Amino acid sequence: METNQFSEPTRQSSKGILIIFALKTFKFFKSFFLLFLAFGVSFSRSKYFENLSLSLVVLIGFGILVYLLVVAFLNYWNFKFYLKDDDFYLTTGILNKESTVISKSKIQNVYIKQNFLQQLIDVVSLNIETAGDTDSEIEIRALGKSVALQLKAELFTKSSNTPLQNETLENKKVFCRVAPKRLLLEGISQNHLRNFLIIVSFVYGLYYEFTSYISNLEFESRLEELINFKDDIASNFVIQYFVFIVFGILVTLVFSVIKTFVIHFNLEVVEHQKTIEINKGLFNKVSLSLVPNRIQNIVIKTNRFKQYLNLHTVSVKQAMVHKKQRDNFVIIALEKNQVNQLLDKLLLNYSTPSATFKPHAYYKRILAFRIFIPIPIINMLGYLMFGSAFLWFNIILVVTAMLYVYFAYKKAYYSIDDNFVTIGGGVIDTVTSILEIHKIQAVELKQTIFQKRHHITSVYIFTASKTLKIPYILEKEAKAIHDFLLFKVESQAKDWM
Amino acid sequence: MNFTNSQIYSDTLPSIEDVVLKPISKQYIKIILIHKFLMYAMFFAMLIFGKFFAQNQVFQDYFWVLLLIICLFCAANLTVALLAFRTYKYAIREHDIIYAQGLIFRSITTVPIVRIQHIEESRSWLSRQFDLATLNIYTAGASGSDLIIKGLEHQEARRINDFISGRINGDKSIF
Repeated sequence: METNQFSEPTRQSSKGILIIFALKTFKFFKSFFLLFLAFGVSFSRSKYFENLSLSLVVLIGFGILVYLLVVAFLNYWNFKFYLKDDDFYLTTGILNKESTVISKSKIQNVYIKQNFLQQLIDVVSLNIETAGDTDSEIEIRALGKSVALQLKAELFTKSSNTPLQNETLENKKVFCRVAPKRLLLEGISQNHLRNFLIIVSFVYGLYYEFTSYISNLEFESRLEELINFKDDIASNFVIQYFVFIVFGILVTLVFSVIKTFVIHFNLEVVEHQKTIEINKGLFNKVSLSLVPNRIQNIVIKTNRFKQYLNLHTVSVKQAMVHKKQRDNFVIIALEKNQVNQLLDKLLLNYSTPSATFKPHAYYKRILAFRIFIPIPIINMLGYLMFGSAFLWFNIILVVTAMLYVYFAYKKAYYSIDDNFVTIGGGVIDTVTSILEIHKIQAVELKQTIFQKRHHITSVYIFTASKTLKIPYILEKEAKAIHDFLLFKVESQAKDWM
Repeated sequence: MNFTNSQIYSDTLPSIEDVVLKPISKQYIKIILIHKFLMYAMFFAMLIFGKFFAQNQVFQDYFWVLLLIICLFCAANLTVALLAFRTYKYAIREHDIIYAQGLIFRSITTVPIVRIQHIEESRSWLSRQFDLATLNIYTAGASGSDLIIKGLEHQEARRINDFISGRINGDKSIF
């Protein structure tokens, strides 16, 4: 393979027409789905469209498909890219021509994806992302895998005169690979509450969308028949709820496991000379390349249960990444020593902090304030709805609130050394955020008028991807931290990405 | 290697305690007052309009209570705004910009000049009448790290703008 493969304007693989066509068709049907539904219903009742024969409908459908195909072809034909010096050029557009230039040094990450259709016809899509505007992302939808790898390698090679092939394909080393068994454990130990809410809102949404259809099916009465025991016995009422809850938990559990498998199937972290690559996915295969010095923060999450199973999650935060892409930068189900190895690779010279400091005891007061305020309100509402029996519920509420304060304070700490800030936190989860000092964008000290009397201040550390907070420490310490962090940033003159 | 090396940074590092923060232009208080005045005028206009035209009996019954509440709110709001005015302070150091604000929620934000992406000077019609300007200083940070300094004298804003722009353009290591 010669190095100048991309110096001439190149089109993507001709299979790209198919991909663009499929995408356009899908988008078209998705946006007109409800219209079609309404149209279909009134058509089947054949009240309004008597002069519209079936063959005409088929013809219209065919016309739309041909139109979409032509658009797809033109899209493909006008989509050209090439590399020149250290820049990537892209020209697109059928009527409105658009050309984009991205300097290689501004590329934040390049990733290769493969959805189900792309897997079928054996192409991949290559995404180029910069830290600029959120919509400056470029996607080349159909490339042969080897071409994509080659292009990726060239994009990550800084100046055009260094040799490149040997670096990418040969020096790779699989860093860690997550076995299916561990994925299963991760799925089981996930935050089910969130998944439960997703399912509930999904079912609710569907229900509202199709209320009329469902009421036709007399779904509710059937469901009632199915679960109805004898209404007059109170214990059966309890059993009904119990069955519902167990059912809900089971569905959520299965959903969590499937979701984990689909997203993280065959998760592996591969180490190249300059970059780290994350590969994963079942239907949507993704392959992300991370440049360590572009990373803004790293967040490690685990909890008691996961810790017992030795499961840790590492999220890599980069500057201004799309919201939907952010989930891709999560590496799950890592063992403790794998986490440490990964940190070694991603953060130069990082060592687990030996001396840590805790927030001032004032933090407990703030936490208690935050958690105990809603309790009277809950009580009032509960009392109105369920009567005085609800007051017993306070035992659970108060114990939970106290545990919240206890754990939130116990897990909070911070540590600052020469190059890194480490901040711990979380209530159920144990969250560790790590930040390289030279990536700080701004530092802020905040206190309320009440905290001023107690000389308590919080330190907010802004980075390009996330804001970290050192909560409620003494004003003197906060100022010292402020001065130290700024001194580090200003005296080193290191780039933040 | 750890935080305990506070020896170095409490004694020899430039400290935020030593910085003399400069208040923003006194003229700016007039702009605050005009804005507040317009807002209150709208409140009262709505109330009086309601007094004469609304048919709702409940509203008519509680008109004076409502008026009192709004008066109290205005008085409190104005007091806080005037007291808070004195807290708007800034300082430009060799390597960073510091801005302090807030009465009830106090904050001091420091942006290193090497992290400034771009800087913008804006002047509304009203601020032009008082020869004032607003400086918007943008970083690449997550929301909240951008600095907006209002009520600077135009000359001063110009000077800061030139200084920072010069620093950004002159220093190749930034971008």
